[in-house]
Formats: sequence, structure tokens, C-alpha cells
Amino acid sequence: MKATGRTITSILIVILALLFLSPIYIMLVNSFKTRSELYENALALPSSFSFEYYQKAMEKMNFLHVFFNSAYVTIVTVICVVVLASMTAWMLVRKDNLMSKIIFYSFVATMLIPFQTLMMPLMQVMDWIRTNLHIPMLNTHGGLIFMNIGFHAGIAVFLYHGFMKSIPIALEEAATLDGCSKFGLFWRIVFPLLKTITVTVAILDIIATWNDYLLPSLVLSDKGLRTIQLSTFYFFGEFTIVWNQAMAGLTLTIIPIVIFYAFAQKYIIKGVAAGAVK
Amino acid sequence: MNKKMDRVWYAIFTMPLFLIFLTIVIIPFIIGIIYSFITWNGIPANPKVFVGFDNYVAIFQDERFITSAWNTLKFTVLALISINVFGLVFSLIVTAGFKASNLARTLFFMPNLIGGLILGYIWKFLFTDGFKQIGNLTGLDSIFFNWLINPNFALYALVIVFTWQMAGYTMIIYIAGIQGIPDEVMEAAKVDGANLWTRLTKIVFPLLMPSFTICLFLSLSGAFKIYDVNLSLTGGGPIHSTELFAMNIFNEIFGYGNYGLGQAKAIIFFLVVALVTLTQVIITKKKEVQM
Amino acid sequence: MKRTKKLIGIISMMVLVLALAACGNNSSNKSGSDKNGGTGTEKLAKISLFQSKVEIAEALEDLADKYKAETGNEVEVWGSAGDSYITQLQTKLAASEGPTIFSVQPGAEADKFASYYYDMSNEEYVKYISPNMALESDSKVVGVPTGVEGFGLVYNKALVDPSTITDVASLTAALEQFKADGVNGLSLSQEAYFLIGHIINTPFALQTDPVAYIEQLNKGEVKMSDTAEFQEFAQVMKVIRDNSINPMEVTYDVQMGDFASGKTAIVHQGNWSYSMLADYDDIEAGMMALPISGNKKIAVDIPAAWVINNTASAEQIAAANAFINWLYTSETGKNTIVNEFGFIPAVTTIEATGLDPLSQEVFEATQSGETIPWALNYFPQGIIINDLAPATSEFFLDNSMTPEQYLEKLDNVWAKATK
Repeated sequence: MKATGRTITSILIVILALLFLSPIYIMLVNSFKTRSELYENALALPSSFSFEYYQKAMEKMNFLHVFFNSAYVTIVTVICVVVLASMTAWMLVRKDNLMSKIIFYSFVATMLIPFQTLMMPLMQVMDWIRTNLHIPMLNTHGGLIFMNIGFHAGIAVFLYHGFMKSIPIALEEAATLDGCSKFGLFWRIVFPLLKTITVTVAILDIIATWNDYLLPSLVLSDKGLRTIQLSTFYFFGEFTIVWNQAMAGLTLTIIPIVIFYAFAQKYIIKGVAAGAVK
Repeated sequence: MNKKMDRVWYAIFTMPLFLIFLTIVIIPFIIGIIYSFITWNGIPANPKVFVGFDNYVAIFQDERFITSAWNTLKFTVLALISINVFGLVFSLIVTAGFKASNLARTLFFMPNLIGGLILGYIWKFLFTDGFKQIGNLTGLDSIFFNWLINPNFALYALVIVFTWQMAGYTMIIYIAGIQGIPDEVMEAAKVDGANLWTRLTKIVFPLLMPSFTICLFLSLSGAFKIYDVNLSLTGGGPIHSTELFAMNIFNEIFGYGNYGLGQAKAIIFFLVVALVTLTQVIITKKKEVQM
Repeated sequence: MKRTKKLIGIISMMVLVLALAACGNNSSNKSGSDKNGGTGTEKLAKISLFQSKVEIAEALEDLADKYKAETGNEVEVWGSAGDSYITQLQTKLAASEGPTIFSVQPGAEADKFASYYYDMSNEEYVKYISPNMALESDSKVVGVPTGVEGFGLVYNKALVDPSTITDVASLTAALEQFKADGVNGLSLSQEAYFLIGHIINTPFALQTDPVAYIEQLNKGEVKMSDTAEFQEFAQVMKVIRDNSINPMEVTYDVQMGDFASGKTAIVHQGNWSYSMLADYDDIEAGMMALPISGNKKIAVDIPAAWVINNTASAEQIAAANAFINWLYTSETGKNTIVNEFGFIPAVTTIEATGLDPLSQEVFEATQSGETIPWALNYFPQGIIINDLAPATSEFFLDNSMTPEQYLEKLDNVWAKATK
């Protein structure tokens, strides 16, 4: 009896979730329609399912190339953010002095600055670095990654900082007595305990990096460097949007992260079982 | 000696990230503050004139900016509530151990995987075509009409879309928090005969305080800073009724070409938002319990 | 033991820093070798090209490939979504990261970027530009027109006889008749330019000196509400509000869909809108003037011009000149402009052949000189989107607003935007 009740609840949850997804339905069905079909009814199912527009979108976007560009930028950015932010946050929590407070709140506060007001000065600073320090920050993937780390630092530190309190200090003290250096202590004892939050930070950061349009559009100019989001510009004119190809292109851009997310969340659930030990 | 080593370790752990952050965010921000005291149209060859606090004075005579401030405030409060209510409810549902949890967790999070601009475009179809059809079918056309062209409803449409986008985001942070609650604590409460509501308010919510801090902050700052969805869903219309802060600033800088004035608006905006959100962070951080 | 751990720690940090630096170095080597390759042979410097019209982006990239195949020189074509072009251009220029060639709209936008223009006056290709079509700044030629575009009333030939619509009275009668027949008479759409930007051009362009009129308006010396052409314009807007579907409910896609399917008789649009009809069954469309004060001319002008960035290196400027010259003189270049871009040429070296029906009408108007200019290019920056469009949406959402009140509203927002 109780089991059927739970099954019914499960079904209701799925229906709720599917309703929640209706806009994605719009994206999918319209990736198969001609302009006139979309004009007739944007909500109806398409009259035929041909992958013509997907093929066209892939060709225009140079899909494989931009996919690898995006993957490279995203992976390097996220690894750097996770490594640097977890270390920083741990130190800020454990050494709770004035300096730590200043650093922490400047990370937090600057998350409030609208990017639009930073972009011009940021580009000028990057230009200055390029001309005076001869480090090519503009029109390179390295430069974009560097800027990504800077912009994503705030939220990552904030997230780690919030969850650091669930790590029992006693463990760390024991390890210090054993003669572990700070570095070893962090990577061998603390970091493994941060698994759940690390996955969360990584997921959010991967999505943010993968979906970013504005910053890469300013930093990267050359065609060969384009990320997957930049390559969708072909579909968005000032007034005209090539809906079918745009929707197909966008579906293509989100498939990789949907797959990634499906895997990553399995890992979170495993994390629960592991967490029971602590 | 030991103290000195401590400082070195402190620097090794915190400085790499902080230095990157300094070059990318703080220095440009300071340059931005300097720009707020000049008039300039954003073209390097054109003259920059120092005007002191003139830009700041001009802001308070800008009715449109004040309207936009009011709209942003309204939007933020509504979005803050609905995002966190939905996020929390979703997280409680998917951690309750139902069969469909995994699937639901993925589905609730999906909207986040789509960038803000395109979200707005897709929802535009829903509001223009979808609402009209529902209205025609059900006869409830006083509720289901095109919200986007009604100055009284367009802002609520924006709240709906932003909630739809962000609820999944806060959900996964709440999930991380819920999973941090030891099972023994919950079991013990069940054995003691505590009902669901008591368990939630006496055990779950207090232990979720770090998650609340983070989620409230993220939805606050996200709502205050919203731009993409605003641009593609309503473009600030009809009749400026949904022009929020970030869009107003962007229009000032790149629309009218008043670079200094736009920067001054951004600084004011930053101070107000920082005041609100940092107060929130300090308050909720105090309520966090150390395990 | 403690020491080794510390050492490991420091080494790991250094590796991390090096890894970061390596990302940068990697790319610097690449761009360095590019430059060497460029100077080693007879090739011209590699240049970059940036422009706002997404619709031609792909054709332009193909053209760059052909250019490389024919001459061995390289043009890097940058891309941006249509509405973020100016922001990107401005930011990149400010960071000395600007393109070698870029496109600007004549008028306020062109004035804004004037400090970047290379003086083309002595270049060979300037003599090919059709009369009065060059972009000039301080009586120097600084830009080559990309093409010509025109807008007016685009009508369905099966439903409308243009000879019967000659003034506001006959337009009104026609729209009332359409309403009685259950046809949407004249459709505007909610996008700022299609709602107000283009249609308000006519009363401006009909002034004896439109640019002078705009300057007077900016100074507050004249009022739209006191000007006859604007009074007629406001009447037209009221007739549209009374007899057609509310433009605020209509998007560009729907506007052209309704037009293509015969639900709408007339739209206020340009020759570019023909591409929106491509997916529909054949429809015969023509273009006529918006008959304010008996106007018989459609609005034709150059939508954009190519300019060369004077902050580029001398080698790049030389290469840019060579490219533009090639574009207007080589068979490949000429062919691409007409057939791939679908532009109505504004240079004498190219014959206009195979144009779509709307472009053909615009082209004929250019030939006969029966045109009015795009005065809207000289509007203060940002005013259409930020001020005129919201005021106009208010007019369309509030049926009690009279044409007189509407004009006063327009005068007010104009004064506010230019103060």
C-alpha cells in the first residue's frame, strides 16, 4: 500500500518536472520547423522530423572545432578555480583574522558588480598588460581562462567558505600533530572531505564557463578561437533570427552539459553514501 | 619562526587567486570609479572632462533611473522569495528518496543549462503564443493573455522566467546542504516522534543556514544584476516598465554614450546592493551553527 | 619529512603558475610565427574585418577564402550577433584590439567613431563610388558604401493598387475598407525600428533640410507638434491604431508571416524583408511611398559603410586598401556583393542583376533619383530604442491618447534625451 503511494507520488513529481520543462519542448520542436511552419504555430509538433537544420547548424558553427575550444577553456578554467578557490577558502576560514575578513568580503562584494560596467576598464587593463608585460591577454585562450578564473573566484570561494564549517577541526589537529605540512594536510585530509561541495562548484562553474557569451565575445576575435557559444552568432541578426537553425544549434550546445550533468549527479549521490561515514 | 612560516603558508594558499582576482576585477572596478567623475563618450580619442560629482548629482534627477530602481527592487524581492521557495521545495522533494528523484533532479536543473539570452527568446513564444492559446481554450483570457505587452504584468513575467531559470540552481546548493545533515540526527528525531514540520523547522533549517546564506546571496545578486533575460524577454518595455538597473546602466553607457554617467550609476548601484546583500550575509552567517 | 612535504607544496604551486603562464605563452608563440610568415614572403599583412550584418557573415567568410586562394592574402572575418556589434567594436577599439576594416552606419554612429577613420580620398577605389554615396568626414572620403537599402510601404500586389493610395485621406479610406473586409490593413511590428524608427523617417526627410531640422529640434527651436508633416504622421499612426492589429502584439516574424499568407495587405518594411518571405508560397510584393503630405518617394540610403582603422599598422592599412580594391574590381568580389550578399550595389563597377523584386524597386528608385534620405541616421544616438519606441508603445497601448498628445509626448522625450 505504502509502496503504491510512493509510486504515485513519483509519477506526480515527474509530471511536475516535465511541465517545468515546457520551454525546452519549444526549443526542440522548433528546431525541426520551417519559418512558415513556426509562424503557423510555435507550440505544435513539427510536420516532419528531419535533421536538416541540425546538419546546417553544425556546418555553420564548425561544431567539432568550437566544441573542443569550449571544452579546453572550460576544463582548464574549472580545474584552476577548484584548486585555487578551495585552498583560499580553507585558509580564510581557518585563519579568521582581519586580513581574512577583508579578502573574503572583497571576493563576495565584487560579485555584485554588473559585468557591463567592468568590461571597458578590464579590456584596457588587459591591453596594458599586453603592451607592458608582453603577456598576450587578448585574443588568446590563455587570456580568456585567466579572466574566467578572476570572475569565477568570488562565487567559488563563497561556496567553499560556506561549507568549510562542516569539516571537523579535530581531524586537522590530529594530522598536524602527526607532522603533516599545511599543504599535505589540505590535500590529504581536507580536500577529500569537500567532495560534495567540490562537485557542486564544478557543476556550476562548468555551466557558467560553457554558457558565457559576453566575455569571450570581447576577448576572442579570431575565427579559429571561437567557443561554442560564440559560434551561434550566425543565427542572431539584429532583427531576424533563423529560428530553426538557432534552436538546433542551441540544442547542440546544451547536449554536452546535459550529459555531463547526468554523470556528475550520480557522483553526488555516491557522495551521500560516503558522507555517512563522517 | 613558526609564526613566520604560518604567514608564508597563508600567502601561498590565498595569494595566487587573490592576485588574479585583483587584476581582473578590483583594478578595473577602481578605474571604473575614476571614470564616474568624468564625462566621456567612451572613445579614447575624444576628450575626457573632469566634472567632480556632477554625474552623481545628475542621477538623482533622472526619473527613469529612479523608476528603474523601484522596478529592480520590486523584481528582486519577488524573485528572491519565489526562487528560494521553489528551490527549497524541489530539494526536499528530490532528497526524500522517491523513485523518480534522480530524473526529477535532472529535469529541475535543466533550465540552468540554457543561457539567459535564449531563455528569454523561448519564453517570449510561450507568453505570446502559448498564453493566447490557453486563454482561447479555457476562456480565462483575463489571466492568460500576452503579459509582455502589459506594463502591469511584464515585470511578473520576468519574475516567472527568472525563477524558472534559478530555482534549479538554488536547488542543488540546498541539496548539498541537506546531504550534509547526518542521518543519525534525523533518525533520532523520528524516533522521538517529531512530525515533519518540527523536523524541518527545528533540525533541517538551522543546519541549512550555510545554504541559506549562499542561496539568498546568489538570488539577491543575480536578481539585482539581471540583464540577459531582461534584454531578450522584454527589452525593458513596454514603456520602460521592466527596465532594470543593469539595463539602464548599459543603455546609458552604450545607448546614449554617456560613459561617466553610466559608471556613476553603476557605483551607486553597487553601494546600494552591497549594503543590502552584505547585511544579509552577515546576519545569516551569524545564524550558522558549527558542527 | 616535514621539509619534503613543504618542498612538494611549493613545487606544486610553481607548476600551477607555470601552467597558467603556459596558456598565454602558447598563443603568443603562435601569433608571433604568424607575423614572421607574413613578412617572409611577398604577401600583404593579415587583416581583420568586422561588420554588423549577421546575414552576410557566412558569405563574407567564403569570400575571404576565395580572396586567399586568388591572391594569397589573408582576411580574418570576425563575427558578432547583430545587437552586440557596436558594444564589441567600441570595447575592442578602446583596448587597441580593433579590426582593420569595420562597418559603421552613417550619421550619429559614424560621427562617434570618426577619430578612427583612415582618409581614403586618394585611394583608387574611391572613384568607383556612385555619386553622393561615399561616407565623408570633414570633406574627406572615409568610407565606402556596403550597398543601398530602401524602405516604404511594402504591399501585396493582389490586394492593393498603389495608384489609389496617394495621400493620408486615401490611405485612411483604404485601411478602413480593409478593416471592413476583415483584412489587417497596415502592419507595424514591436521592434523599435519597425515600430517607429523607420516610419517616423518620412516626416523628417520631407523637411527642406532634414539635418538642420534635427539640429533645431535638439536645441528646442522647433517642435514636431507644430510641423505639418508630423501632424499628418500622427494621423497615420492613429489610423493604424484604429484599423489594424496592435503592433505591440506583432513581432517581425509574425508581421511578415501575416503578410506572406495574405492576412495583412501592407507592412512598413524595407527590401531586406524579402528574405523573410523565402519559406512561403509565392507572393507578389511591391514597394510604395508612405504618402504623408502627398509624398511619392521611398526612403533610400546607404545602411553602412566600410571604413579602415587608422590605428592599424601601415602594412595592414595597405593590405586593407588592396582588399577593398579587389572587392569592387575583381569578378569574384563583384559577384559576391550582388549574388551572395544580396546587396544593391552603390558602386559604378557593379551591374545590378538578378535582384529580388523589392530590391529591384529600390534600385530603380536610385536610378531615377525619386528618393528621400534616411534622416533617422542623424537622430541623436540611442534615441529610437530608448525614447521614441517607448513613447510609441504608450500610444498604441492607450487608445485614449490623441495624435496631438502623442506628438507632444514625442517632443517631450526628444527634449529630455538631448538636454
